[in-house]
Amino acid sequence: MNTAQPHTLPAPSDPPQPAGRSGERTVELVNVSRWYGNVVAVNDVTMTLGAGVTGLLGPNGAGKTTLLHMMSGFLPPSQGTLTVGGAPAWRNPDVYRDLGLVSERESVHGFLTAREFVTASAKMHRLPQPEAAARRAIELVEMTEAQDRRIETFSKGMRQRTRVAAALVHDPAVLLLDEPFNGMDPRQRLHMMDLLHGMGDAGRTVLFSSHILEEVEQVSGTVQVIVAGRLAASGDYRTIRRLMTHRPHVFVIRSTDDRQLAVALMNEESVGGIDLDATGLTVRAVDYGTFTRALPRIALREGIRVRALIPSDESLESVFSYLVSA
Amino acid sequence: MPRSEAASAPTGVIHDIGYQRYTGPRLGRGYAARSLYVHSVRTAFGIGRSGKAKVFPWFVVGIAFAVALIAVAIRSQSGTVIISYLQFPDTVGVPVLLLLAIIAPELVSRELRAQVLPLYFSRPLRRTDYALAKFSALATSVWLVFAGPQLLMFLGGAFSRTDGASGVWDEFTDLLRGVSYAAMASVIFSAIAILVASLSGRRAVAAASIVAVFLVTAPVVGVMEAVGGETARQIVPVINPVTLVEGVKTWLYGTHSIQIGDFGPAYLGIACGLVAVCTALLLARYRKVAA
Amino acid sequence: MALIETRALTKQYPRVRALDTLTVDVEPGIVGLVGANGAGKSTLIKILLGLLQPTSGEVRVLGMDPTHRSEEIRARVGYMPEHDCLPVDLVAAEFVTHMARMSGLPSTAARERASEALRHVGLYEERYRQIGGYSTGMKQRVKLAQALVHDPDLLLLDEPTNGLDPAGRDAMLALIHRIGTEFGISVVVCSHLLGEVERICDHLVAIDGGRLLRSDRISAMTVQRDILAIEVDEGTEELAARLAASGLSAQRDGRLLLVPLESDQTYDTIIGAVAALDLPLHRLDQRRHRVAELFANQPEVTHAAQ
Repeated sequence: MNTAQPHTLPAPSDPPQPAGRSGERTVELVNVSRWYGNVVAVNDVTMTLGAGVTGLLGPNGAGKTTLLHMMSGFLPPSQGTLTVGGAPAWRNPDVYRDLGLVSERESVHGFLTAREFVTASAKMHRLPQPEAAARRAIELVEMTEAQDRRIETFSKGMRQRTRVAAALVHDPAVLLLDEPFNGMDPRQRLHMMDLLHGMGDAGRTVLFSSHILEEVEQVSGTVQVIVAGRLAASGDYRTIRRLMTHRPHVFVIRSTDDRQLAVALMNEESVGGIDLDATGLTVRAVDYGTFTRALPRIALREGIRVRALIPSDESLESVFSYLVSA
Repeated sequence: MPRSEAASAPTGVIHDIGYQRYTGPRLGRGYAARSLYVHSVRTAFGIGRSGKAKVFPWFVVGIAFAVALIAVAIRSQSGTVIISYLQFPDTVGVPVLLLLAIIAPELVSRELRAQVLPLYFSRPLRRTDYALAKFSALATSVWLVFAGPQLLMFLGGAFSRTDGASGVWDEFTDLLRGVSYAAMASVIFSAIAILVASLSGRRAVAAASIVAVFLVTAPVVGVMEAVGGETARQIVPVINPVTLVEGVKTWLYGTHSIQIGDFGPAYLGIACGLVAVCTALLLARYRKVAA
Repeated sequence: MALIETRALTKQYPRVRALDTLTVDVEPGIVGLVGANGAGKSTLIKILLGLLQPTSGEVRVLGMDPTHRSEEIRARVGYMPEHDCLPVDLVAAEFVTHMARMSGLPSTAARERASEALRHVGLYEERYRQIGGYSTGMKQRVKLAQALVHDPDLLLLDEPTNGLDPAGRDAMLALIHRIGTEFGISVVVCSHLLGEVERICDHLVAIDGGRLLRSDRISAMTVQRDILAIEVDEGTEELAARLAASGLSAQRDGRLLLVPLESDQTYDTIIGAVAALDLPLHRLDQRRHRVAELFANQPEVTHAAQ
């Protein structure tokens, strides 16, 4: 059941905010759970989303879509509070002034032109100047040239951008996207990424879910990782990696004398293990801080030239797999 | 007990179960088409699939056998033949037509819907092979539902005959006529059904369409039979597949199912033409469908 | 012998030209086929399989012409479509066996190879369940198994990691890599994800608007540049200053410092500076070109709906 806090609901006499205002709206979840009978889709999640772009990650069925639906007011949390800009998202039509949602599957009427579709969305939001708002939104997604063509003639990326425009037309402070890069090719993805970045930089709160870690890595370093309904980690993934002290950091080193370097490194307490093969040295550093300072010193002392030092398990992919298997 | 000094050292071996290349025979289109045919007949009767898939086909088979059994029982008791081999297909016509309407979509609509066709057509099998294999499988399945019980009737009939070997032989020729008629009916009905089913990926739609095609002209035939002039009465049955087949039977086997006057050859011609046209359309359909 | 050769291959539809005088040679190995949606990848694959006739131009697959010898080609090629293409009511083992027979394998061989193919793709007890109950990852594996079962010389995989989560994607990529390297089968992988392509492919063919954008070895496209990337966990500014003092101009790129690689001496200078400042060295690496650069500066092309 939604435990709404009445004092945060906007009073009915508040005048509607004019379009074009920007102001940060934080999405805040406190101990949010959602269950369906015995199936717990989301389990005690507490997170705060502020300005900028955040990636929502998790294996299939982890609860990402459920979370997004709750954030966009389509589902109430079974427990806990979920607010957007301080107001609950559930049963609160006013929240849609602050919120835009681009869901994963949505059929768009192909016979409409982009301009018509976005204008219709503007009208549904009861904006005072729907055409102007639509024009602005279309410009933001760089669809101005193609706006008078029918949507059915669009490529996937253009369709997606049109939907983003429709979700943006009322200038919401919060934008939620479910798998926005699905089916997009590299070029379309790059364009969409730039768009999302721009919006994040401009102070909007952007949350997008994705399976494709290389995309997430490029768009945002900030992630929320959901595993089996629980929030496994939040924040910058590199920082998250540093927090995993029980997992030695793995580095690949190439030098002018790998074997001698290996011998020297084995003397260090911060080194847990070393593998040596044709491609170089693979070092497991149990103490990140000590090792990263020791390596240059040791190399100098031994007279060995280090040509490459590559951290091999701090990519988002590695971090993610560690979180999922933890 | 001390071990023998001469015991040999322990041995071990790791077997190579990595990927093996295939160097055996690769049989051609014919084999693939035959395999598809067999697979489809099995699918028609739900063999190798879930229990649900078996219910309707075997229910109809049960009905057909029950009818045959009754005929055999009555014959052995009283010697009267209440249903001849040639009459049998018509007697069980309705359930078998329903079976047709169920099986045809199972054979083709399912695969259309699941978009499996690219997997077939990216193999040596040709599109026409696929279509013909499905057609043959449907015709075979329907024929089996006729012929099985007819065989039962033969066994019953042969045992109840009292005129020795020549009697059995007569019985056998009767069976052959019945079975060949069943084959003809199966082919004609299947040609129509498989074509209609191939037009839709939705099984329910396909089934309903097949039933509709078979039924839609029946009232016209009925009305003409009642009020039409003699020529009209004799020719109008061609427009309905069921009565068309009956007409062919009347001419080819000399029965008196329906009035066809002198139009016998026309019936046969139209029947053959119908099968040809349906087959051609079927092949065209599968040539065009996207892979 | 080249795996696939095309000369001025063109496919014209009423309103759109899907392939436009495409000329490319593809060597055996693992090949990534990349391109925008609607750029012509699927059309090309269908032409290679003989499922579509080209409007003009020439094409050879495994040395044969699909317009004339398409059956022979299809006997030696395995295809894994992008879309859902599995019947829901069949047991996986049965389905793959059936497909093996469709490729001409005699009964016993079909059964055995189906079993092996399912093992190689990592489906064990699940193979005795109906496909309808499978997860996306398992369905993708079945699709791959049916493409592999008749021991093709060439595998055409259209977006094989579609819909898979990171773990599933990883497993699929590893499997494809094994197939291409250990099993000795050439593979063409259509993918949108350049990271994947860089990871497992030897060659890349990029198609744009029906034409060839680039065809090259991945190693050639990811050559090292004469720039070193340095990352220290703290003290980046100090390090930059120190390097500048030693004559190395360091450019900031997020958390990285980029330094031109002038000679082997550069490495020593850098290590010396880091050690002297007692900074934690996180990364030292020669930058490489990335496949993504191909697409970086291109405007998005609009295409008519397929």
